[in-house]
Amino acid sequence: MYYKIGVDVGGTNTDAVLVSHDNNILAKTKQTTTLDVSSGIENAIKQVLLDSNVPKEDIKYIMLGTTHCTNALVERKELNKIGAIRIGLPASSAIPTMTDFPEDLKLILGRHLYMVHGGYEFDGRLISPLEEDEVKACLLKMKGDIESLAITGIFSKTIPDQELQVAVWAKEVLGDAVRTSCSHQLGGLGLLERENAAILNAALQGVALKMVRAFKDTVQRLGFSSQLFIGQNDGTLMSLDQAQDFPVLTISSGPTNSIRGAGALSKVANGIVIDVGGTTSDGGVLVNFFPRESTQAAQIGGVLTNFRMPDVVAVGIGGGTIIRFKDKTCQLGPDSVGYRLKEKAVAFKGDTLTISDFFLANNQLEINGSIEKTAITEKIEQISGLHFSEALALVKYQIQLSIEKLVDKLKTDSKEIPVIACGGGAFLLPKKIEGASNVIFPEHLEVANAFGACIAQISSEDELIVNTLQCDEKQELERLLTNVGSELLKNGASEDSISILVKESIPLAYLPGAVKLKVKLCGDLID
Amino acid sequence: MRKINSKDIDYIAMGSTVLGTGGGGDPYIGKLLAKAAINKYGDVSLIQAEELKDDALVVPIAAFGAPLILVEKLFSGDEFIKAFEMMESYLGRKIDAVMPAEAGGLNGVIPFSIAAQKQIPLVDADGMGRAFPRLEMVTFTLHDIPVSPITQADEKGNKNVYDTISNEWGELLVGATAIQMGGSCAIGCYPMSGAQVKKAAVHGIVSYAQMLGEAILNAKAQNRNPLDALIENAAAIKLFTGKVSNVTIKIDGRWNKGVCEIMGLDDNQGCNMQLDFQNEFLMAKIDGKPVAMTPDLIVLIDAENARPITAETIQYGARVVVLAMKSDDQWRTPEGIELAGPKKFGYTEKYVPIEELNKKE
Repeated sequence: MYYKIGVDVGGTNTDAVLVSHDNNILAKTKQTTTLDVSSGIENAIKQVLLDSNVPKEDIKYIMLGTTHCTNALVERKELNKIGAIRIGLPASSAIPTMTDFPEDLKLILGRHLYMVHGGYEFDGRLISPLEEDEVKACLLKMKGDIESLAITGIFSKTIPDQELQVAVWAKEVLGDAVRTSCSHQLGGLGLLERENAAILNAALQGVALKMVRAFKDTVQRLGFSSQLFIGQNDGTLMSLDQAQDFPVLTISSGPTNSIRGAGALSKVANGIVIDVGGTTSDGGVLVNFFPRESTQAAQIGGVLTNFRMPDVVAVGIGGGTIIRFKDKTCQLGPDSVGYRLKEKAVAFKGDTLTISDFFLANNQLEINGSIEKTAITEKIEQISGLHFSEALALVKYQIQLSIEKLVDKLKTDSKEIPVIACGGGAFLLPKKIEGASNVIFPEHLEVANAFGACIAQISSEDELIVNTLQCDEKQELERLLTNVGSELLKNGASEDSISILVKESIPLAYLPGAVKLKVKLCGDLID
Repeated sequence: MRKINSKDIDYIAMGSTVLGTGGGGDPYIGKLLAKAAINKYGDVSLIQAEELKDDALVVPIAAFGAPLILVEKLFSGDEFIKAFEMMESYLGRKIDAVMPAEAGGLNGVIPFSIAAQKQIPLVDADGMGRAFPRLEMVTFTLHDIPVSPITQADEKGNKNVYDTISNEWGELLVGATAIQMGGSCAIGCYPMSGAQVKKAAVHGIVSYAQMLGEAILNAKAQNRNPLDALIENAAAIKLFTGKVSNVTIKIDGRWNKGVCEIMGLDDNQGCNMQLDFQNEFLMAKIDGKPVAMTPDLIVLIDAENARPITAETIQYGARVVVLAMKSDDQWRTPEGIELAGPKKFGYTEKYVPIEELNKKE
């Protein structure tokens, strides 16, 4: 018998759940996210341990889900000073590094961009040789001015050695403190998207380091010997070392965890999950307990990448959404008081009317420290100029309309499917939604996120292009499968649980013999 | 004549993806290339074919290669200029205007970068009105205009000039060399007089692409349904709504042929569509019965966001809408059907126009 703890660090709250090995929730908590991150994690872990009475030694795995990197990128905060080297001249010079970046991000990250000779053709021939002097001259220009370096070579997915060589020279010139992000480890084919991923990854390495350290130190300080994981975009887990090296892969773990968590809590395999937070309601589609992925290349912080992300549609409705009345009509948001609910909202002696105020006044919500219900009702009537029941009906009607529109947007056909509510703001969702067969409010819905982190499997994937005129395609595919499999075992999967998610070979148009091979495996953690 | 600026390129690139009918390469790269050139050298003059002098020299400039290579080994930009200048020196005279060879896909926008840099106009016309997989599949061939001389250049500086005995030979030889060049290169081909362009090209296609792109992107910006806007503006027939249930690709000689199966939803619940492609979509059948075929345009649209989907990026499970659009009248002549109709791609079905296949009884 062993146990797991799932922790979710959001912008406002740090949640934790403690579950048995077969995923029964034994304890849960919601704590405030702290500035240093780690004391929030510490409080949350201590609390679930205390509530469940499970001995520390029996906690085998601790999983962390976090939107830390996403927020850093969206808010352009705490980003590393980076440099970028692209290997491939004379090819590719028509579209320089960061060409299609948002201007503000280019300003922050675009100070040291260099293109050097090198790169490979699809069949492994050189475009031009890599020149040590040229690379080192670029590195010297960045020296002392960057914290991490993104390295991207043409067809490095097929032959990564030039990227690796530049990484070695970077260590020589810039020292060990400067971390490198090699593109071949981050994305698929498509130079710009892969280069963008390497750049974002480099920019996030500082934040990731802080996050990983906070997690590791906290857990060690508390005396755990558990194995630690961090959730990534596709709903599977990676080790802390991987997370430190590839923080960009954690960027959409938030929605993924909540969608998977809501599915597992409600035991519903297919449906629509609506995760209501303080600022937005995020809708996603659950297909066989996994989030439906968007078919379009994902934009992260305004930057095009080739990661596949859960298909999430957001509307500006959350617990902290500001409500304004005018001429007996009301408007919801789209702005929110966010995490400052307890300073700004009417229910906490503030002067801003929020959605939470209405549900508090109507006995549908309890929050510690709020003022008397009658006092809230009075204040609402004063601001709206309406009788409370009229004002409440208007607000609920607006919520109903927005949520029904959201559900309609997410649906693939006219068939009615279940809607599963989760998140701290789930109280505001209507009990009946047009287009939904039913609305499910599962037990523990407020910690779906942390629970989602807990139930994740681990996975590993890789792809490459081979020339089948020179090698045997089947053999190459088997070799790729073996490599990916041993990577997965190394990361802690139990051997008999490994299953193949993707195993494909796609011939390339116009190129006789050239085939793209791709393998993705997943498996359960060792019991 | 009107000026094309960087914003217009966004619209043209979106429209080119529609006209790419699943092939032609993703215009994203071409768009960045064209925008960079316009930002550096200024806006491009788009002229109608009638504005050309009869003895003007017009040359289509194009990217040639495998779509997947083009997004990994990006262009240096020089290869297009070299192909252009080689053509001038081979013919011993200045080029007066460039034009796209195919308005569908990447090549719908690439020529803007050369027009900007060389400060010459771009003709609002092409040789397909869509995308096709082979160099000889252009309306110019229907008018006996030779593809040669063809000039070819890669990013490394390798150059070639071809004098071929037929337009098919042009495709074969350039294709073989392109592989040695690393799977992508730039070409200049079908050098033509102004008089020939007036007679043989598909006219107004750049403006048409721009109009389609504006319809989609403006509808999105104004929160209207972009798919409806596209259908209305393209006078398209909505063939099918469904979900991709299977995609298979197989090699057949030099080509990748594929089949995309779509399971019907909404109005098409209970039916299945089979969509065949050879880079471009060639044949659409519902439960075995053809509803659209080459040379008419078959367009696969992502139901989520009304973006056209290219064949190499079709993904299992995607919700899609399949549209059909009429091809240019030149393709609907007996010669046009012979050059780019179903028989050319190995089908036994006889060409029937989409408006007849989808006639309401």
